[in-house]
Amino acid sequence: MNDRVKHLFIWPAFLLVLVITLFPLIYALTVSFQTIRIVPPTPPRFVGFDNYGDILANARFWGAIGTTATIVVISVVLQYVIGLSVALALHHNVPGASLFRVTFLLPMFLAPVCVALIAKMIFHPVLGPANEFFTLFGLENLPFLTDPNFAIAVLITIETWQWTPFVVLLMLAGLQGLPAEVFEAARVDNISAWRRFRDITFPMLLPLSAAVIFIRLIEGFKIIDTVFVLTGGGPGTSTETLTLFAYNEGFKKFNIGMTSALSFLFLIVVIVFGTLYLAGARKLTQRYEQ
Amino acid sequence: MEHIEFRKISKSYGAVEVVPPLDLSIEQGEFIVLVGPSGCGKTTTLRMLAGLEETTSGDIFIDGENITDKRPGDRNCAMVFQNYALYPHMSVRDNIGYAMKVHGAAKADIDARVEEAAGLLGLSEYLDRKPRNLSGGQRQRVAIGRALVRQPQVFLFDEPLSNLDAKLRVEMRSEIKLLQRRLGTTAVYVTHDQVEAMTMADRVVVMRSGVIEQVDAPITLYERPANKFVASFIGSPSMNFFDARIENDQLLLGHQRLQLAAQEAERIGDFGRVIFGIRPEHCRDSEAAAQLTFGVEVIEPLGSNTLLLGTVGDQKIMAQVDPRFAAQADAPSTIPIDMSAAHFFDPITEVRL
Ligand SMILES: Nc1ncnc2c1ncn2[C@@H]1O[C@H](COP(=O)(O)OP(=O)(O)OP(=O)(O)O)[C@@H](O)[C@H]1O
Ligand SMILES: [Mg+2]
Repeated sequence: MNDRVKHLFIWPAFLLVLVITLFPLIYALTVSFQTIRIVPPTPPRFVGFDNYGDILANARFWGAIGTTATIVVISVVLQYVIGLSVALALHHNVPGASLFRVTFLLPMFLAPVCVALIAKMIFHPVLGPANEFFTLFGLENLPFLTDPNFAIAVLITIETWQWTPFVVLLMLAGLQGLPAEVFEAARVDNISAWRRFRDITFPMLLPLSAAVIFIRLIEGFKIIDTVFVLTGGGPGTSTETLTLFAYNEGFKKFNIGMTSALSFLFLIVVIVFGTLYLAGARKLTQRYEQ
Repeated sequence: MEHIEFRKISKSYGAVEVVPPLDLSIEQGEFIVLVGPSGCGKTTTLRMLAGLEETTSGDIFIDGENITDKRPGDRNCAMVFQNYALYPHMSVRDNIGYAMKVHGAAKADIDARVEEAAGLLGLSEYLDRKPRNLSGGQRQRVAIGRALVRQPQVFLFDEPLSNLDAKLRVEMRSEIKLLQRRLGTTAVYVTHDQVEAMTMADRVVVMRSGVIEQVDAPITLYERPANKFVASFIGSPSMNFFDARIENDQLLLGHQRLQLAAQEAERIGDFGRVIFGIRPEHCRDSEAAAQLTFGVEVIEPLGSNTLLLGTVGDQKIMAQVDPRFAAQADAPSTIPIDMSAAHFFDPITEVRL
């Protein structure tokens, strides 16, 4: 057989992949070095690193990084801690586990916009059930969405509420994949439940945990819909996340060059956080390597 | 002295009774082997003793103390599993010493005992390896080491050797037996391999669908099986069985007549219908030998002896004969049967006569 035939199969696929993945990226990269306005349309003009310089000098950008990081880090920690606890409970078949199994997964299936709309009603400062609940403790009309700290807390709550089920699902699958005999051996050897968790379950789940947290971190950084619906980034820009900031630049000012530059900076931010995280996770998993 | 006692313990899963009420008592320092075909409830019985499975009814005593409702950790047993069940992320050293460490033993003590166990089991050079870098035999040794260092009252083994290759199995079974004898710890060992059971046990418990068929020393099981099931299960190649009749001190097998040994003749000389059992290795000459002719179909020379496979009438027979025994395939052959080693069972109850 003539080996040249293989090129017939390989190249079209390769080119297709190249065109649909690399081209947009490269195009966006070139655009990020230009000034392009759609409204009013102005011809592209090469400006070098000006877009990047402008953004880096903009306090709003740094504020958005801070806001995003706060929301993501705190909510992912909560998601993991609560998620793993619930998964453990489900795995050990606490009473009511089967009911839980179904209801607990529901939030994950909702569109974030719907979640945000529901949350907006729940956290209404006068009419919402959250207000009624806090009124019981004498805390009336808390500014859930209008005070920066409260608003961030609400966003963290919603993120946690929506994405903990994802963590539960994966951690439960992980737990059920662990070899039962190992735990029986530990039980026969009179190892307490807590030590079994600390010394056996947790280390054996570490690689999975690292992956789950990584997925949630990367996904979390893209948070936009809940913020958009709930606070619109306000009050002021105190809850503006990176993606919302980019959206505002792109679709309110129609400055495409600036938005592209912002996207690449966003990519860099995610890579920086991701790398830091992976380095830390690596250290931990290596200690318990099998 | 009695060490472990099962009193009418039973186990049901829903409506299915896997182990009907069962009684068994085990002496201090004894090596007991539970043996039986797959699914007969050996593992279930062992796990009830370990506390990993709740009993449906009945009580278990260790050292006179009722431990039926105690947690597995409070029974002072150590268990070795078929799939090793090692902690995959811990080194051999940590695997062996883990329980001691959790229970607050001093580091020097742990090290000393781990080293000692490792030396005993030939694991000294592997102490810092992770389980996945060990062979199956080494892994099982680690599992045994982990049980050893705890110095438990009772060792529990659930088919610890069935994942190992034949040669290693033979080595390990004598090692385990030797270790147990040296330590003097009571051991309960589950296997479906009758050779393992015979070679290791002080007493063998033969089980069939949850019921204990016989509890005896290996040689007794072989020489005086309590019923047809035990007779067929113990010994390899396994015993031949024939539907036959006993009349006038003679065994009627088809139209052949075999003279019974003197003491048998006295006991059951006119019994009527019986199941006649003879082991292949007892097709040999002796004072009480009778001659049996059968059609040889296959000859299997094994070196030290030869197996003849054939039929008597329409019943299958396997005979173990001298390698130079003159026999031809597809021709009748006459072999001696040592009637003093014959077994007779009731045709209905299958109980030994
Ligand atoms: N959780 C369960 N639910 C229902 N039946 C079960 C359960 N566990 C075991 N059994 C049944 O109990 C019987 C005894 O099982 P057990 O594991 O004790 O057999 P075993 O003698 O150890 O067999 P093997 O030699 O194959 O290991 C089997 O018939 C099995 O189908
Ligand atoms: Mg079993």
